[in-house]
Amino acid sequence: MLNNLESAKKMEVRNSFINSFLALVFSLLLGAIFIWVCGYSPIESYKAIIGVSLGTVKGFALSLSQATPLMFTGLSFALAYRVRMINTGAEGQLYAGAMAAALVGAYVHNLPSPIHILLAFGAAFIAGGLVALLVAAAKVYLKSNEITMTLMLNNIIILFTSYLANGPLKPAGSGVGQTERIDDSAKLMKLIPQTQLTIAIFVVIIVAVILQYILHKTVFGYEIKVTGLNLRGAYVAGINVGKTYLLTFALSGAVAGLGGAAMVLGVNYRFIEGFSSGYGFSGISIAALAAYSPIGVILSAFLIGILKAGTITLNRTTSIPVEFVDVIQVLVIIFVAAPTLIRAILNKFKKIKELTNKQKHGGEAI
Amino acid sequence: MNFNADLVYSIIASTLRSSVPLILASLGGCFSMRAGVSDLGLEGMMLAGSFFSVLGSWISGSAWIGLLFGIVFGMLFSMLHAVMHITYRVNASISGMCVNLLATAATPLLLNEIFKMSGKSVTVEAFKKPNWEWLNQIPVLGRILGAQNVLFFLALLLVILGWIFLYKTKLGLRMRMVSENPHAASTVGLNVLGYKYFGVAMSGCFAGLGGAYLSLGQMNLFVENMTSGRGYIAVVINAFGKYNPIGTLGGSIFFGFFDALQTVFQSIFPSQLVMMMPYVFTLLVITFGLSGGKAPAGVGKHVE
Repeated sequence: MLNNLESAKKMEVRNSFINSFLALVFSLLLGAIFIWVCGYSPIESYKAIIGVSLGTVKGFALSLSQATPLMFTGLSFALAYRVRMINTGAEGQLYAGAMAAALVGAYVHNLPSPIHILLAFGAAFIAGGLVALLVAAAKVYLKSNEITMTLMLNNIIILFTSYLANGPLKPAGSGVGQTERIDDSAKLMKLIPQTQLTIAIFVVIIVAVILQYILHKTVFGYEIKVTGLNLRGAYVAGINVGKTYLLTFALSGAVAGLGGAAMVLGVNYRFIEGFSSGYGFSGISIAALAAYSPIGVILSAFLIGILKAGTITLNRTTSIPVEFVDVIQVLVIIFVAAPTLIRAILNKFKKIKELTNKQKHGGEAI
Repeated sequence: MNFNADLVYSIIASTLRSSVPLILASLGGCFSMRAGVSDLGLEGMMLAGSFFSVLGSWISGSAWIGLLFGIVFGMLFSMLHAVMHITYRVNASISGMCVNLLATAATPLLLNEIFKMSGKSVTVEAFKKPNWEWLNQIPVLGRILGAQNVLFFLALLLVILGWIFLYKTKLGLRMRMVSENPHAASTVGLNVLGYKYFGVAMSGCFAGLGGAYLSLGQMNLFVENMTSGRGYIAVVINAFGKYNPIGTLGGSIFFGFFDALQTVFQSIFPSQLVMMMPYVFTLLVITFGLSGGKAPAGVGKHVE
């Protein structure tokens, strides 16, 4: 554990921006090779993706709305990682939050819109937070592993919500697993008509700013930082490490829960079985790309959103499959996680270059 | 529902059937943990194994060649974990998750590109039940074992061989030393990195085999995300069985039993609630029951 902490410290010092940038470039390069193998022109494809996503209003809105859930889950993973806890449970927390928001949206009536929305978000916040708190408590008091626990909880929550959506909460006459439609007063306002872009984007940006503030300007943020970077130091400094773990992880789960609420209140207007296409796990790559900074998460999720929106739009006119972006995301994690790997690759290129230079200039061939 | 002999037979037979992938994957986990590398990547290696075994069978028309493909690609996916964690010192949880995420992202993509299908692949040549006359004639066992696939017997054989390797051979002893105390192992001149790579490669092979059982043993096609968390359950079983192949065999059969109960109770309870059972049970085991099973002391430690 200590080794990990030390290397983490070094990572902090290193310029993480360059790291992330290189990781993204490498992933896109590998992606380009893949596109080429599939028989398309990489340059044309990337051009088309960016053209669609940034060149048109609808594309831009799609990029942002695709990025919104990723921002929530990215923030969730980043926050937990600040105390070096791995929150692989964002997927489950997202479902818990979505179900809570859908219930408040559909079964609480006659409220003014802002209060209804706040109440739904609040319920999602609590649902996601409680799920995560359970995991953190098991880690702190029973020394369980949070990764295996969250992975099991994901399955349990997804199956249980699916049971609810197919059983007791299913509206009469519905063919698929879903809950009752939420009231109009709980729906999030659309920023651009006929798109999925809602004020959820402002909610997530506000959350990111708050988290950034907490991490850098408050005592709690300082405790998070010390606990994450130097556990022994935290004990010596008299920080209540258990409490820090509990609060941080619960907050992380709560943010993921908000993401579920944003999907229900802004996009689907009800809980639909299996609505998440692995947003929880995508959050890992978003957070890694952002070097675990809240504001960075917003930017990196937007980048992935651009890729997603581009491939979704292009996919309608037969081109690169949408799953392609998922592979790019994994490549991003791999390269961000292993900065030494990138350096090793760059060094190899340098050596080859030196070698060819030597041969060009009549040096000894090795 | 009336409880008769047929039902008992079918529960036992289906318990064994659904424990095979768990047996193989958690056996792989033993090798990985006993080489000092955490085994969170099993899920991805299994998924890769189940996809590529179908691909192999599709290309060659032979289930055995398919099996070989599953093993080889399971191992290749494990090498991603190995290179990231062992050589580049990435946190093993992250590199393990990378393997899982890569397999989840890459298999639908390849399914789309190679088979031009989404959701599931074409049906291919799969393993058949052996239909050995002599086995069917044994009174009680015959009915249970006769319902099993060739791979079930292979899995049992591998567990025994794996146990002998880990606990009765010199190489196994050295590998366990690497997992307990890599510094000491390095001091006495053992090739620590080599043992770690070997352990992870073996875990990839076994997990790939377990994945191949899902696609070619239980079915005859690949379904998107068909491992559905079995790799993670194998991680838990591995801790449950104290990182010993015989222990994990017992754990796998125990979990297989819960899996088998699903099919029986599906008609009475809502299917989702029944499907939750193994996960709830696993969760309880991780939360309360694992204090006895300590991981080898040197897991995740690197040697300068």
